[in-house]
Amino acid sequence: MTTHGLKKRLASAAVYLFLAVMAFLSVFPFLWMVIGATNSTSDIIKGKMSFGEGLLVNAATFFSQVNAPLIFWNSAKITIIATVSTLLISSLAGYGFEIFSSRFREKLYSLMLLTLMIPFAALMIPLFMLMGKFGLINTHIAVVLPTVASAFIVFYFRQSTKAFPHELRDAARVDGLKEWQIFFLIYMPVMRSTYAAAFIIVFMTAWNNYLWPLIVLQSNDTKTITLVISSLGSAYYPDYGAVMIGTVLATIPTLFVFFAMQRQFVEGMLGSVK
Amino acid sequence: MSDVTLRDVRKSFGAVEIIKGVDLDIKSGEFVVFVGPSGCGKSTLLRMIAGLETITAGDIEIGGERMNEVEPAQRGIAMVFQSYALYPHMTVRENMGFALRFAGLPKEEIRKQVDEAARILELEPLMDRKPKALSGGQRQRVAIGRAIVRHPKVFLFDEPLSNLDAELRVHMRIEIAKLHRDLGATIVYVTHDQVEAMTLADKIVVLRSGIVEQVGAPLELYDNPANLFVAGFIGSPKMNFLKGEVTGGSAGRAEIRLPDFGGAVVPVALTGAAPAVGTPVTLGIRPSHFSESGDAALPVTVDMLEHLGSETLIYSRSAASDLLTIATQSRPDVRIGDTLTARFPSSAALIFGADGNRIY
Repeated sequence: MTTHGLKKRLASAAVYLFLAVMAFLSVFPFLWMVIGATNSTSDIIKGKMSFGEGLLVNAATFFSQVNAPLIFWNSAKITIIATVSTLLISSLAGYGFEIFSSRFREKLYSLMLLTLMIPFAALMIPLFMLMGKFGLINTHIAVVLPTVASAFIVFYFRQSTKAFPHELRDAARVDGLKEWQIFFLIYMPVMRSTYAAAFIIVFMTAWNNYLWPLIVLQSNDTKTITLVISSLGSAYYPDYGAVMIGTVLATIPTLFVFFAMQRQFVEGMLGSVK
Repeated sequence: MSDVTLRDVRKSFGAVEIIKGVDLDIKSGEFVVFVGPSGCGKSTLLRMIAGLETITAGDIEIGGERMNEVEPAQRGIAMVFQSYALYPHMTVRENMGFALRFAGLPKEEIRKQVDEAARILELEPLMDRKPKALSGGQRQRVAIGRAIVRHPKVFLFDEPLSNLDAELRVHMRIEIAKLHRDLGATIVYVTHDQVEAMTLADKIVVLRSGIVEQVGAPLELYDNPANLFVAGFIGSPKMNFLKGEVTGGSAGRAEIRLPDFGGAVVPVALTGAAPAVGTPVTLGIRPSHFSESGDAALPVTVDMLEHLGSETLIYSRSAASDLLTIATQSRPDVRIGDTLTARFPSSAALIFGADGNRIY
């Protein structure tokens, strides 16, 4: 083998080694979570890294401590409403910013992007007071409302709309469509991979949302799965086996959504940067 | 009555005027081609007729009705776009019937009209396919079919063949010409390709920088261009322009000296009085007008040869490096570097004044 060939093979081996380590680091928490769900609290604390026989016991503990159907319903309800409304409102805004020109467009857009710089911690108190004034504390609307006009998703849709062929809009106008019809009948179906990518991002964010629901949802019957898992973990004698069961169950919907939309997600992400 | 009338139509984007007062009458059934270089405003003018661009000033009438504020769908037009603009999530049948569905036509009527257009354009086997499963030529036929089903007063084509390869472009050009003949429709067609303009048009509108330079039948523009721009734009290879000066003449005759061609003097017959001696002029001669029997002679050196089979193009230079293109149907025995005398009949020469307008 020539020196050049050897160098190429070594470089390739180094790349694969690096990727393998990164893949392991990514997968490890999931593996640990699944293994933990089959072990007792003491085994988890000891760091046991093999499957145990405590799955059923952990599951029984979890379901006895938690009103699972209710909290999963709460999470699902919030997530679906937040996802649908965020995609609708933010994509309308992104489309509008890109398609319609006005003197104030770029200034308004920059102002909107500036809001991305404000940490959520700085917004929590004003938001809480606002929700209090509207009488929305301890309601699911209070969880959804601050998320529906997401500056990041508006930005994402505006960038993706740059790839939307403007001649399609012209053709639709010649065919007699109004602006709202162009949006719903032409733009949305054409941009479905962009919507799929945004759907995954918004769905995961809404499903995993923790801090804001922790502040506005105060009664047990309104709480979401993330809040309940957190409260199980912070008990005086936490049952980590039950926590792991809850975590595994809470991960399933996001995994399902991701794998169902994986192909469109990749297309959407590629489309947004092309 | 004209099908389309433009009266002092203007368009500005901010302070920049793009269309600078266009007047035009397009008769019913006429095939009119807007031609001009990139950025001349031809597509903008077409979009203004379609209603896709607002009009800053002037009037546009279609079928005798003022259309300035009328929505595109109500203007009685159908448009074929450069990129086809087919809805990618719909089948060919859905694409073609979409406008009719929106116009509220019954399903049976839509099916009948779509099937009829599909038959004309030989699209029947493709009706259930989506645009991504079609070739460029097929997509363009679907786009034309989508326009046909609307039975518009005016078809608008915006550079419809630009995205096709050379062979398909020729094929589609013939298809469009046949379609015009069969439907007898009024067509306004935009292109930057002067061959398309020459072969398709009943009337060509040459545009430059938002101004109409000349309107006329293809051969009229070819034989009698109004100015240097039209003379240079229409015809391929491009007309030769030779700088000269009037050195003498009388009524019905002028002598033009060409200093860049060794001071050769070309006698030109005129219909009117000769320009004053010393007047700078440009002499225009088409490459195809060179022939061995010509009475005017220019000494040149061969720079490059292109053998196209049916004709040969000789790119040559004068002693002062002025380029001269000669097209000949024969296969001349010349090589690069040879010197030769290019002859042309002085009666074929056109004369342009210093302002670029035609004198003779």
